[in-house]
Amino acid sequence: MGGNEDPRMQPGIWSEKEGVFILPDEWKLSYQVSCGELSPFFRALKEEGRLLGMRCPSCGAVYCPPRSWCHDCYADTDWVEMAGTGTLTAWTTVYFAASDLVEKVPFRQGGVHLDGARYPIIGRLEVEEEERLVSGARLRVAFKPQEERRGRVSDYYFVLDEVS
Amino acid sequence: MRRVAVVGYANTVFKRRHADKTFARLAYEAVRDALFMAKVRHQQVQEAVYGIYNDLFTHNMMPELHIHYQLGLARKPAVRVTSGGATGGVALRTAWQEVAGGLRDLVLVVGVEKYADLNGVLEMIKAMVYGGDQFFEQMAGVSPAGSYASPAIFHMQRYGTTEEDMARVSVKNHANAERNPDAQAPMRLTVDEVMASPMIIYPYKLLDHCLSSEGACALLLADEDTAVRLTERPVWIKAIGYSTDSGRQAERDGVGDSLLPAVVASAREAYEAAGINDPASDIDVAEVYDSFSGIEIILYEELGFCGRGEGAFRLKEGFFDLGGGLPVNPSGGLIGGEHAVSATGLYQIAEICRQLRGEAGERQVEGARRGLAQCMGGARGAYSCVTVMEVD
Repeated sequence: MGGNEDPRMQPGIWSEKEGVFILPDEWKLSYQVSCGELSPFFRALKEEGRLLGMRCPSCGAVYCPPRSWCHDCYADTDWVEMAGTGTLTAWTTVYFAASDLVEKVPFRQGGVHLDGARYPIIGRLEVEEEERLVSGARLRVAFKPQEERRGRVSDYYFVLDEVS
Repeated sequence: MRRVAVVGYANTVFKRRHADKTFARLAYEAVRDALFMAKVRHQQVQEAVYGIYNDLFTHNMMPELHIHYQLGLARKPAVRVTSGGATGGVALRTAWQEVAGGLRDLVLVVGVEKYADLNGVLEMIKAMVYGGDQFFEQMAGVSPAGSYASPAIFHMQRYGTTEEDMARVSVKNHANAERNPDAQAPMRLTVDEVMASPMIIYPYKLLDHCLSSEGACALLLADEDTAVRLTERPVWIKAIGYSTDSGRQAERDGVGDSLLPAVVASAREAYEAAGINDPASDIDVAEVYDSFSGIEIILYEELGFCGRGEGAFRLKEGFFDLGGGLPVNPSGGLIGGEHAVSATGLYQIAEICRQLRGEAGERQVEGARRGLAQCMGGARGAYSCVTVMEVD
């Protein structure tokens, strides 16, 4: 198949193997996805290497990933900076990825309950020693160097927090 | 069956793109305001039905799950409905069944549209054509616009309807939109200006064409006992008719008198259940699916608002204007008001609620007690849903 050729321009063929007629097709759609009210999270991630959350002014819950309203209080939340430390909830090793992390496979991935946050967040784990990946292990967020950051969640990952 | 009422409704403003809001946020703002109107907390809601039409628009295949969770409704049932441009009407019907049948007392219906992340109009059209018959129409270059052009051409041939007649629909609906603060395209136009706008697909010019919008609409439904506790002005869902037609638009050309047979079938079901014999006098206000100007003229006839071949004349006479005998699309419709596909059917119903509760501001139809909303989708109205609503 020619590199950039549109499959829909190719002739259909009878498949002896399957006993049906086959029409090549392709779904290829490009998007300009607006991050909407969550834009500050992605901008701070890319431009400053900071992890932001949002805090409910009514009940005080902090959400990271950010959400612009509290689903308990139905109040609009305010931006806060996350400390970036937290504890591991559970983890796995990923051998196949179709995401931004495809170039990283195999990689470790886990849930991290950030300090102060209501819910855990998913992140890639840069931890060599499997025996140290236990529930409750202390982790801290790290960021790719600025020139490699693209404003996507693959820009950050978690490492063991040796200090705390 | 139990009587079911709308006890709260709300919508966002509609515009081409809400770049500053995620689809969940748009849904939330409509839901928050609809609940506020009914003085109901989200914890009291028992179930939510979501009208979300197109995965390729939302860039997500399970958008209702993510919205539902963020609305604080996790561990309660969420149902997604998708029926092209009829999505909103069919979503309402789904929620209405739940309440009418006694399964739930308080159900949210939410329509939310966020299509403009797609990179331009061509990408949007690409993402729509996959609704057409997989082998015989989608690959033949059939587009939604093309599907709505052929009935207008039939109408011109049969009844002598002109392009100027169709342009009058655009003039009316853009003018109505001037009285609607949520509308996307308020404009004071002349027939000549519509005629002079760029040709899109014969016989339609750019200003004959519906809008493309982002936005959301939410309605809160309740059974009779709950409704009368919550509000002094429940809007009763009197009847809903729903029908479909051949998925292949080509297989409908020239069959019978009706140019939109699913519309006729859905209207018949609704009229029988509501006891409507003469729609033109029994209905006080209507919101119909003016995907294109010529289609609104055909809808007057298919819905029985006038006789076949009389639509263009009755429009010219002013019968369908604000202040006329049966005002149609006081909101501005899809041409002047909004066409946020997933939200449109619900927004039409919200507009009827506004009218029946006397909350429609500068576009209020005086004394409106019974209203109709009709939406449709798929190639040339392959789905059609008609809702009749009234106040005591």
